[in-house]
Amino acid sequence: MALKGVSLEIAEGEFVALMGRSGSGKSTLLHQLGLLDMPTEGSVLINKFDVLSLTDSERTKFRLQYLGYVFQEYALIAEFTALENVFFPAMALGDNDAKERAEHLLDLVGLKDRMHHYPNEMSGGEQQRVAIARSLINNPKVLFADEPTANLDTVSSEIIFKLFQKLNKELKQTILVVTHEPEDKRYVDRVIWLKDGLIEDEE
Amino acid sequence: MSNTDFTTAFFIAYKTITKGHKSTIALIIFILSLSFFNLMFVSGFLYGFSDGVMKSMIDNSTAHIIVMPQEEPTIKPFIYEQDEIRAGIETIPGIVGTARHYQLNGTLTYDKENDGDFKYTPAQIIGVTQHEEKDILTINKYIVSGEFPDYLKEDEIVLGANLSGGFGTKQTKDLGGATVGSKVQINYSNGITRTYTIVGIFKLSMVGSVASAAYVSTSEAESLLSTYNSASEIMVKVDLNKNTLDGYTDKINQMFPNLRLEKYTSRLSTVGILVTAFNLIAVIVSIISIIVSAITIFVMIYVNAVSKRRQIGILKAIGIKESIIEASYIIQSIFYSALGIIGGLIVIFFIVIPIMAVKPIAMPYGDAVLVYTVLGIIINISSLIVAGILAGYIPAKIVAREDILKSIWG
Repeated sequence: MALKGVSLEIAEGEFVALMGRSGSGKSTLLHQLGLLDMPTEGSVLINKFDVLSLTDSERTKFRLQYLGYVFQEYALIAEFTALENVFFPAMALGDNDAKERAEHLLDLVGLKDRMHHYPNEMSGGEQQRVAIARSLINNPKVLFADEPTANLDTVSSEIIFKLFQKLNKELKQTILVVTHEPEDKRYVDRVIWLKDGLIEDEE
Repeated sequence: MSNTDFTTAFFIAYKTITKGHKSTIALIIFILSLSFFNLMFVSGFLYGFSDGVMKSMIDNSTAHIIVMPQEEPTIKPFIYEQDEIRAGIETIPGIVGTARHYQLNGTLTYDKENDGDFKYTPAQIIGVTQHEEKDILTINKYIVSGEFPDYLKEDEIVLGANLSGGFGTKQTKDLGGATVGSKVQINYSNGITRTYTIVGIFKLSMVGSVASAAYVSTSEAESLLSTYNSASEIMVKVDLNKNTLDGYTDKINQMFPNLRLEKYTSRLSTVGILVTAFNLIAVIVSIISIIVSAITIFVMIYVNAVSKRRQIGILKAIGIKESIIEASYIIQSIFYSALGIIGGLIVIFFIVIPIMAVKPIAMPYGDAVLVYTVLGIIINISSLIVAGILAGYIPAKIVAREDILKSIWG
């Protein structure tokens, strides 16, 4: 059992880190809050709405419309340019005017001059910044980041977390990030420590 | 699927194709072109062969319907008052024309060098009125030496090359190279012996009685058979666009209930067995071609989808529906199938058919050409597209339905 009984509340506009040793259940908690996995028991309320009551296809649509994701592996589509990767989720929602917004987001993450490059022409840090821009295209209620800097060097990792901090402060973006690097604490509003599937501490 | 979903799926497919490995895509399209070419060529060739055989039979041997002498209530050796009967038949709408034949049997004898070394060969001798016959049966188009006069004299004969010998024919029994102008003797089965001058030699690819027949005039046949205004058989040519074969035989039966009728299909015998076999082979080869194409697409899509398992998981994680992902692969399958079809059609219609028009493939029963109908082409194209859709959908479905976390993290 990855989680044995977890209750937490994240306020709108908060930047929260889930931390703990490997196997503590932090990624499992993130996946369940982000509707990528279903808990055995319990509820997940986003803006007081119980998202676990949705059907499979409704949850898919909810993720597209209201949630944003950044993964450890960047996971950009190799055949899309940076710009196309960013506006693609908006295209899937039928928003055909998202290109301008995508350009703005790429500018926000400092990659406006790379918008027509393909992922294989970018560094890991650049790809992750594109992934972050993609996660914001549909103005998500919550942005979930699962160890976004695990594959990056120290400098790139710092850039990423500073970017998260900037998004949180300027756009009031609610962010929940999983990380195992203690130095990442300085960027967040709150840290939730997990151990053996339970919340051990908060700071 | 909504317009938005289709647009999204199309975008994924478009980018995958345009940014994919060009050599891999080219190989896939090449294989599919070959499969479609195979599908079209074999079916077209075999149907063309069947069609050619039938046409040769109709044009040179039997026409569409053969009218024979009555057997009930009494057996008659000939069709009497053939002119009235033919005139009656020709009033039926859709009848193109009729021609009468007398049939005799005999042995041809020829001494090429006049040195007593005679060659003998049995033959069917047909009495014809060529100026009436030539619009019904077109042996005259296959003359390779001399001519087939509209009015044969009583001492003139036209031989098949299988009887005369020479002209590249290979028969165990022929006259050893009789030529136009030579004299041949026929010992008829009724004991009469006549000598004729060869005025024409024809060559039919078709093996069978007509290719090895000899033609004399109607008046000569009547003098041998001691009859007049009769026929051993009446050949009837019809327009199948206006009625069916059964429709015509019914009408003729109503007019002349005592006469026996036979459709040309009843006289196919060995050729008919071959035609049936070839049609079956055409179907089998078509099915195999489609299966090969489907497997090619299946493997390509499956390998592509498996290699992108993580990417598919991420797409699903960010909210892209499975149906969009599946649709993108189906669109790719249709694209590859379509290009394969175009490639195959180009080879067939712009390379193979022009070459075969100049140099047709000689078959024992006639020259083979590729025969297609619009419906046949549509069926072939549709089959490949449908096979492509299924072959693309199944592997995409298998990979796309995998759990999101398992796809991403294994």
